[in-house]
Amino acid sequence: MENRPLEYDYTVAKMFMVTTIVLGIVGMSIGVFIAFELAFPGLNTIFGQGIAEYTNFSRLRPLHTDAVAFGFTLSGIFATWYYVGQRVLKVSMAESKFLMLIGKLHFWLYVLGVAAAVVTLFMGYSTSKEYAEFEWPIDIAIVVVWVLWGVSIFGLIGIRREKSLYISVWYYIATFLGVAMLYLFNNMEVPTMLATSAAGETGIGSWLHSVSMYAGTNDALVQWWYGHNAVAFVFTVPIVAMIYYFLPKESGQAIYSYKLSLLSFWGLMFVYLWAGGHHLLYSTVPDWMQTMGSIFSVVLILPSWGSAINMLLTMKGEWQQVAASPLIKFMVLGSTFYMFSTLEGPIQAIKSVNAIAHFTDWIVGHVHDGTLGWVGFMIIAALYHMAPRVFKRELYSKSLMAAQFWIQTLGIVLYFTSMWIAGITQGMMWRAHDEFGNLAYSFMDTVDVLHPYYALRGTGGLLYLIGFFMFAYNIYKTMSARPVEESELQNASPMGA
Amino acid sequence: MSIDEFSAYGYFFLTLLLVVGLYAYIYHLYKKKKDATGVDYENYSNMALNDDIGDTPVKPVSDEKKK
Amino acid sequence: MFHWLEKHPFFFAVGVFVVIAFAGLIEIVPNFAQASRPVIGTKPYTTLELAGRQVYIKNSCNACHSQLIRPFKAETDRYGHYSLSGEYAYDRPFLWGSKRTGPDLHRVGNYRTTEWHENHMMDPAAIVQGSIMPAYPWMFTNKADIDTAFAEQLTDQQFFGVPYNKPVPMKDGTTQTVKLAKSVAEAHADALAEAKEVASKMKNQDVKDAVARGEIPEIVALIAYLNSLK
Repeated sequence: MENRPLEYDYTVAKMFMVTTIVLGIVGMSIGVFIAFELAFPGLNTIFGQGIAEYTNFSRLRPLHTDAVAFGFTLSGIFATWYYVGQRVLKVSMAESKFLMLIGKLHFWLYVLGVAAAVVTLFMGYSTSKEYAEFEWPIDIAIVVVWVLWGVSIFGLIGIRREKSLYISVWYYIATFLGVAMLYLFNNMEVPTMLATSAAGETGIGSWLHSVSMYAGTNDALVQWWYGHNAVAFVFTVPIVAMIYYFLPKESGQAIYSYKLSLLSFWGLMFVYLWAGGHHLLYSTVPDWMQTMGSIFSVVLILPSWGSAINMLLTMKGEWQQVAASPLIKFMVLGSTFYMFSTLEGPIQAIKSVNAIAHFTDWIVGHVHDGTLGWVGFMIIAALYHMAPRVFKRELYSKSLMAAQFWIQTLGIVLYFTSMWIAGITQGMMWRAHDEFGNLAYSFMDTVDVLHPYYALRGTGGLLYLIGFFMFAYNIYKTMSARPVEESELQNASPMGA
Repeated sequence: MSIDEFSAYGYFFLTLLLVVGLYAYIYHLYKKKKDATGVDYENYSNMALNDDIGDTPVKPVSDEKKK
Repeated sequence: MFHWLEKHPFFFAVGVFVVIAFAGLIEIVPNFAQASRPVIGTKPYTTLELAGRQVYIKNSCNACHSQLIRPFKAETDRYGHYSLSGEYAYDRPFLWGSKRTGPDLHRVGNYRTTEWHENHMMDPAAIVQGSIMPAYPWMFTNKADIDTAFAEQLTDQQFFGVPYNKPVPMKDGTTQTVKLAKSVAEAHADALAEAKEVASKMKNQDVKDAVARGEIPEIVALIAYLNSLK
């Protein structure tokens, strides 16, 4: 065996980078398409009446949410884990054949699971629970994928050289545990093929079908405990893991207060899980739970802002870097959007505000300024930081990256402003009464008024998607850009013009 | 004890425990630095900054094994 | 202690898990026994209704329509009495939805007719001027999956004790019994009888012919389900 110096092995990280980009394009394209379907309903049948069943809003909507959450975002989380994990634990995947095998298995099973999910959702097999639409065989596959990831995390930790775990690793561990718990409990279901008729027939009907273990209000409670916290453990916790590594690394600045990062961690872990009740205000779940959901949502501002402010302060005295590097711009704006949406969320969770906001587009807007501005930007920035290091090449184009940043930022602003106005307008119109105490508007009036905002929202989404294509192109061209030396990769990523 | 009472007590005491825990944690974070054997948590940031495979770990696993 | 925890990943993970599992334990588990009692007048779904409910889910109707009327004047004026927890006792899964791109449907059976649904599902914009809802013409040709609906009923009865074949109290003091078939063939026959009743109020000749042939198009099942929402 030749005596080469030990290097980090990014094979698995690279594989997940590919799926991040591909599934990002798929999920976001579907998103833009269905956004325009709402503005221009004729689009539902644009691919022909024959396949309209598969291209209309109803079939595509779960595909959009699942493709961006479990395709784009999860891939991004896995890609960064297989990169950051090795580095902060100072151990290479190449040192363990076993972990390498697990990593590859993890990837291929994940791809298989995604393919199965896409096919079944297109066909209309759905449990109807948001972000958990997959039927039971896919749920089982997801659990296996998740366990493999766990083996990979704890395996790598087991052979580490660095005794203490860096804060990002804390967040990855929390992601692993949190999603495992939530997903398992929310997807408890009984496959219908287990039932037997009085005539002794078994395996009746579709083998894919299942019935939820919970009924009605309980089902809602579990679903939103899950739904809210899936947002926590897929869209927040692992993204915080990323920013705690990539921002200090790219800027060369130590975290402003490492202690604050640890405190915020425990705060977030404890508080987040309570807040799920705010999805069910004024519903039939018990009042005290609704109130609890409201209160904890407001308390949640503290640990969220703890992390976000910590990141902004990390750039203290170094703001020229923000001006100079589009990569750092992505991260700084990302944490700003994080602050923004973690303030907006608690506001919407206040009962009287929720009375107007619930069921409207304001909620959709809120989700998207978090996902587009915070999750999307952070994953894009992470991949930009990783690309020169895994390919040993400089980033293809800085100016393209800067253009992408501004186009996408404009897209997000259009998105959330239009949804804000749309949501509040509709919420107010629904409850308006005339002088005789009759409802002032028919439901249709409140839909008509939304048309311009839906068109604007679609445009915002389209701009973001265009930016994402620029990102994909930039990464693609990076693979054949100018090779760089190890010494250039210390902090700020090398970029071509 | 009814299930409501159980949940109320559980809520109260566990919250208390976690609040106490959190304050103890803050105290711990700041006190550690002053001890002779202490750790300055702020050094931990270097785990990200000096993360090449050849860099010296902030606190190597091998130290512990030697003892 | 804290410092030790940070260096021992396994115990660290246990600590994190305890902290995150805590809320669920206190908040969700104790409520389970209480929330699932049906209110008087709520009865289990028939095979055809359940097949319709599956069509509803298959086409993500719940992505745009809620089934939850909140206790505000504006909502009770528009949709009827606010929703009660026990009304959902037989809903697996729940279909409250999270977005009202279209109106709430929890009591749609009170104010829309079979004929209205038929025309509306074929071309929503023709019935409601300016509607942005997609048309669902394929529901008039696709066949409803009665087998699976029957299997779901059996599952409900065998695993969750849903009272099929048992008298269920109604609001007027009487009782009603929802029948659960003994075999797949019987389930088909029962569903078809119910479908014929729905189809008799419909205009679409293809649907009528299909039902006469013994087939059940998705639209018939869906309308049966929507009519049951009261």
